[in-house]
Amino acid sequence: MSKILEINNISKTFTNDDATNSKEVLTNVTFSVEENEMVVVFGPGQCGKTTLLNIIAGLEKPTTGDVKINCKEVTAPGPDRAVVFQNIMLFPWLTAYQNVEYSMKIRNFDKAERAKEAMKYLDLVGLNGFEQSYPVKLSGGMKQRVGIARAYCTKPDVMLMDEPFGALDAQTRYLMQDELLRISNTEKRTVVFITNNIEEALYVADRIIVMTDCPSTVMEEVIIDMPHPRERTDQKFLQLRKEISAMVNRRR
Amino acid sequence: MKKIKVNKNKYTVIMVVNIMVVIFIWYLLSDVFKVFRNGMLPGPVDIVKTFIYKLTNTAPGGNTLGGHIAASMIVVVTGYIIGVGVGLPVGILMAWYKPIDYLVRPVFDFLRCIPGLAWIPVITVWLGIDLKAKAMIIFISVFVGIVVNVYSGIKQTDEVKIWVAQIFGASRWEVLKRVALPSALPYIFTGLKVSLGMAWLGIIAAELLAAQSGLGYMIMVARNFGRADLVIVGMLTIGLIGAFLTWIIELIEKKFVKGRR
Amino acid sequence: MAIKIKKINFSKIFWGVLSIFLVFVIWYIGSQKPSMKGLLPNPIDVIKYIFWSNSNKIGKVNIWGHIYWSMTRVITGYVLACIVGIVLGFLTGWSKLGSAIIKPFYMVLRSIPSIAWIPLAILWFGIGEQSKYFIIFISTMLIVMTNVIDGVKDVDRDYLGVARMLGTSERKMFWNIVLPCAVPQIFNGLQVGLGAAWATVIAAEMVRSSKGVGWIILMGQTAMNMTQVFAGIIIIGLIGLTLALLMRGLEAKLCAWNVRGK
Repeated sequence: MSKILEINNISKTFTNDDATNSKEVLTNVTFSVEENEMVVVFGPGQCGKTTLLNIIAGLEKPTTGDVKINCKEVTAPGPDRAVVFQNIMLFPWLTAYQNVEYSMKIRNFDKAERAKEAMKYLDLVGLNGFEQSYPVKLSGGMKQRVGIARAYCTKPDVMLMDEPFGALDAQTRYLMQDELLRISNTEKRTVVFITNNIEEALYVADRIIVMTDCPSTVMEEVIIDMPHPRERTDQKFLQLRKEISAMVNRRR
Repeated sequence: MKKIKVNKNKYTVIMVVNIMVVIFIWYLLSDVFKVFRNGMLPGPVDIVKTFIYKLTNTAPGGNTLGGHIAASMIVVVTGYIIGVGVGLPVGILMAWYKPIDYLVRPVFDFLRCIPGLAWIPVITVWLGIDLKAKAMIIFISVFVGIVVNVYSGIKQTDEVKIWVAQIFGASRWEVLKRVALPSALPYIFTGLKVSLGMAWLGIIAAELLAAQSGLGYMIMVARNFGRADLVIVGMLTIGLIGAFLTWIIELIEKKFVKGRR
Repeated sequence: MAIKIKKINFSKIFWGVLSIFLVFVIWYIGSQKPSMKGLLPNPIDVIKYIFWSNSNKIGKVNIWGHIYWSMTRVITGYVLACIVGIVLGFLTGWSKLGSAIIKPFYMVLRSIPSIAWIPLAILWFGIGEQSKYFIIFISTMLIVMTNVIDGVKDVDRDYLGVARMLGTSERKMFWNIVLPCAVPQIFNGLQVGLGAAWATVIAAEMVRSSKGVGWIILMGQTAMNMTQVFAGIIIIGLIGLTLALLMRGLEAKLCAWNVRGK
């Protein structure tokens, strides 16, 4: 297996405009992700996780350190990484279908190919028959399915998911976790998945990066080698859950 | 950080240079090459001269610039205050009491499709062309603008907030006073601003059609004399005062609507 | 959703009819008072007058002729104003250079009420059609421009980030993100602008013209024919209402994706 994403010594400090106030949210974050791996970044609180993802995405610049994808440094946003946002951010003026094909259209793929790919991914996320619906007409879970299909259709090297199910109700959340595993089983992708929910992390992850609270840094890496589908009440599952929770609480 | 500041300065410089260039070209065209037919677009120098002249001289139009401003302002302020005074309670009543809403809304929806100045002929026949008549025209325009905004402001009040207030035992009047009105405040200020614009427009229209003084009357007389310079001085004065009045309301808004939105 | 909208709300219609009926009754009673003679016409006479003018001339043409003249003026000025207003609005809102060049003049022009342009327009273009096109143009254009500038300013910065993630170049950003984002606000401008254009044409026709709906009411005043004045006002209101409803329908069609259009 080859390392596809490398995060080297990232730190990020936010400073307000007149430099009177600053807050360090990330310090010396280092980890790497291998091809087709589902890595979950898990950490308590509000601190740093989304910033980390934005830095990988290229939407924000780190204060120090760098991010490499396929050994190339990230400097700006680009379609080699795709983000599934917590607040989804579908373009409301485009239909579900148009949202999914957007990234191909903007890169001038021809129409037949766009249609083939977009339909394939809409199919994959189970949105057959909703191609022509505008986002206002879709439920939260359905919107996030479109969000995932849109990310897939970009054909990224790495998919970045920022608490993608955080805004959904508990029932839909479980369902979407299963769906995510089904989808990524059908078409393997490298995923960096951010969450503050330990159960969600254990349910989907190949490996969990446990982060500390403010300023965040990597505390521990835990490889989860349980077969899918996992049972949330399984003895091993509960044991891991206890261990990781204790780890986080101790450092608080 | 520094780069942004440099950029900002760059655009300020472009803006200032641009304004000066345009005024200079205007000056060249009108005063040096005299491109426009006699006095159709007077030069910037002429306009400043006319402005200064008109400050102390009454001809044409029978009043100084200050006199015309005073004549217009007194009508606008009278009509505006009465319009706001009547419009506010009517808007609240319409939004807060269902029967009044049902009964008045259809007629009101129709009435607000009629521009305020279409009433000028009716008012002129009924009341003549004195202060009372013109204030009435302003009143109609202002009244409509205020009612529309107060009404929609109260109607958009978050229902949950009203329920919470009711659960804590607030009477209907208290809910209106403590929940609905404060949350409608931004809309009310929008209404105050919009209807100020309407009032200012209304007075100009009224004075164009029937008056013996005021800024609208002044530009109409200037037109009859073919004095484009005086027309433009009048227009700029009208614009300036309008901007000034809006600025005052925005100041009051900042005081009252602090921390909202 | 669509079915819900189509379902007719009977109680609403009932109240609407009752309310208009009541106004007519009050109006009728008022007009019967001796002191109101010649000042407030009988509503029945006004309605009769409207039907009468359907086939009889007021001045040079019948009522449809006047409406035709007013509408031609509105549409000519309005269409021109929309095109110029949208282009200038985007230049001012999206490009910093455009803003630096256009904004100062926009600020000055915007503060002048549309009607104050009438005397200057007559001086420049005479009392013909051109001066009316000009007045409608200038008033509508500034309203459309204001809305376009606001629309561009309110574009959610997060959408720009998402678009960059999906591979949108800065060059393509405008057409693919900024323009569609600003559409609802632009539409609002087109709506408000049409209302303003309608009000402006009435004013322009009252100041100087020999045809048009605004002329009807001014002529009524001059001839002390209050029936004609009130008929004119009702027609002005009906047309204003029709224009507003048309624009709202158009918005629901074109901006189906927008929450407002729901």
